[in-house]
Amino acid sequence: MIDTSIILQAVIDGAGVGLIYGLVGIGYCVIYNATGIVNFAQGVFVMLGGMLTYTLLTSLGLPMIVAVAIAIPLVGVVGVVIEWFIVKPMLVRNSPMFAIILATLAVQIMIERITIMTAGDQPRTFHEFTAGGPLRLGPVAVGYQLIWVLVCSVGLVLLLTLFFKYTRIGNAVRACAQNRDAAALLGIPVARMLAVSFALSAALGAIAGILITPSQYTAFNVGVPFGVSGFIAAIVGGFGSASGAFVGGIVLGVAQAVAIIIFGAGYKTVAALAVLLLVLLLFPSGLLGKRSEK
Amino acid sequence: MTLRSTISAKPQVWATALAIAVAVALLAYVFGRGGYVVTVMGFAVIYGVFVTGLNLFMGYAGQASFGQNAFAALGGYGTAVLCADYGLEPIVALVLSATLSAVIALIVGYPTLRLRGHYLAMATFALGLITYELSIEQSGLTRGFMGFSGIPPLGLGRFQLLSERAQLAVFILIMLLGVWVARRLRGSRFGRALLAIGESEPAANALGIQVFRYKLVAFVIAAVYASVAGSMFAHFVGYISPEVFGLSMVTLSFTMLYVGGIGTLWGPIAGAVLVSFLPQLLRGFRDMQDIIYCLALIVILIFVPKGLASLWSLAVRRSDVPAER
Repeated sequence: MIDTSIILQAVIDGAGVGLIYGLVGIGYCVIYNATGIVNFAQGVFVMLGGMLTYTLLTSLGLPMIVAVAIAIPLVGVVGVVIEWFIVKPMLVRNSPMFAIILATLAVQIMIERITIMTAGDQPRTFHEFTAGGPLRLGPVAVGYQLIWVLVCSVGLVLLLTLFFKYTRIGNAVRACAQNRDAAALLGIPVARMLAVSFALSAALGAIAGILITPSQYTAFNVGVPFGVSGFIAAIVGGFGSASGAFVGGIVLGVAQAVAIIIFGAGYKTVAALAVLLLVLLLFPSGLLGKRSEK
Repeated sequence: MTLRSTISAKPQVWATALAIAVAVALLAYVFGRGGYVVTVMGFAVIYGVFVTGLNLFMGYAGQASFGQNAFAALGGYGTAVLCADYGLEPIVALVLSATLSAVIALIVGYPTLRLRGHYLAMATFALGLITYELSIEQSGLTRGFMGFSGIPPLGLGRFQLLSERAQLAVFILIMLLGVWVARRLRGSRFGRALLAIGESEPAANALGIQVFRYKLVAFVIAAVYASVAGSMFAHFVGYISPEVFGLSMVTLSFTMLYVGGIGTLWGPIAGAVLVSFLPQLLRGFRDMQDIIYCLALIVILIFVPKGLASLWSLAVRRSDVPAER
């Protein structure tokens, strides 16, 4: 018989991972809203965030805050490079959507291989942001890292909302999302806004990767599971709003954690797909309706 | 390609003759030389079957499946388990696994094919990942990470195809059969409906085509092709592991489709042969192989999205024949 406190603990930890999925999911939405494409290489940013921070911490011996401050913009640059060299030429040529998806998938594999060649194929991890813990709340333990995840992700969502609502660039990106041609007519440099959205999305992924690495691990191949889970989180949340992606992420994280307890660790992705299919079956019109509007 | 009205047949005849000559020369070289070239050609033919099926679903119907490797895995493991553990005839095992794949494609396709665009891509992608995880987890059946070895070669009754050359010859026949079926399908009512769906779903719908049903059938057919390819692989190598049917199979097959020319009959086969032999030319780049593949794929996707087939239509066009779609 499974103890209720174990379930409760799983729910707490699952929600923590779910917040990370939410961040990745928001990354998808940011790019999708601006360009109308889904970047399958989204998970790679999560991996790069963790791996780069690890490398900066260990081989250069930098303090955590410096390593993070370098890693996040670097991953942002990777995002811009992908946009510049792959996505933009394909958008200009009106490539079919599947071709663009495939190209981003190819980028993901390329970056994974390069990571293996430069950083090895071993899983890596680094210490938590603050030592000590966990916090005991009755029967469950809450690690300090989980609190970091919660604070950072909620803070990020707030910042993003403010950014999109009150800054010039944020408004410009939103204008591109609504109608790219009209935005261009109004003098908004659309191409630059697409680059901004890729940079933003990559940075979000990197932050997610840095936050999750202490409590799990990072390796060249963590990108795909995080990418898939983040995408499912975004779909479950309705593909668009940041808070929706968060709710989707938490639902998914909890479902996975519970599935692991009941069925075993190998069934993480199976649980994720089950959630996806359930949502699609129960709310198909809501999800498809959004696409057919266009 | 075959449907095009041949007002001036000449360039097409020449191009066809050239293509056949190249194919015959290649086969003569492969069978004459023997050794690893036969192995490489075997993989090319197996992938040829795989991408011919995928092409029906992607090239004709304009859908995307990023999880076709799931059905290849089903075919491969079905053949492995049924032949090695239960001693079934290879042909029986192949048909049984293909039937199982078709049934599963039907069950999985029913909810997922209602999705469109990115949702479909991601749902099928997840399908491939799940099969990969299951093939590791269900180690009682699949022997997990270590892989499944001791799969007998293709054969019938007491007669076994012991040499790789003989297996390759049979494989080529299977592939030709697959291409022939695909060609028949393309010219049929079913194929024309798929092409209409690929052009525009709302338009096809307005013409009275039951879009969802046709998509589902195309998906099931593609799954059967994939499953047969998986079975062929298991017989050919005698060993399979979850890694064989992993993510690289997806990118490899897509590379073949796009290099050869998606939506054409022979393009995918040409792509399969070319992409299979390419690494032999690029030896010495062992670690870089995947990177070069992906880079080549991206360049092709950006600059020559119609692949080798666009060369073909350049050679064939010239007259007032309308350009390929």
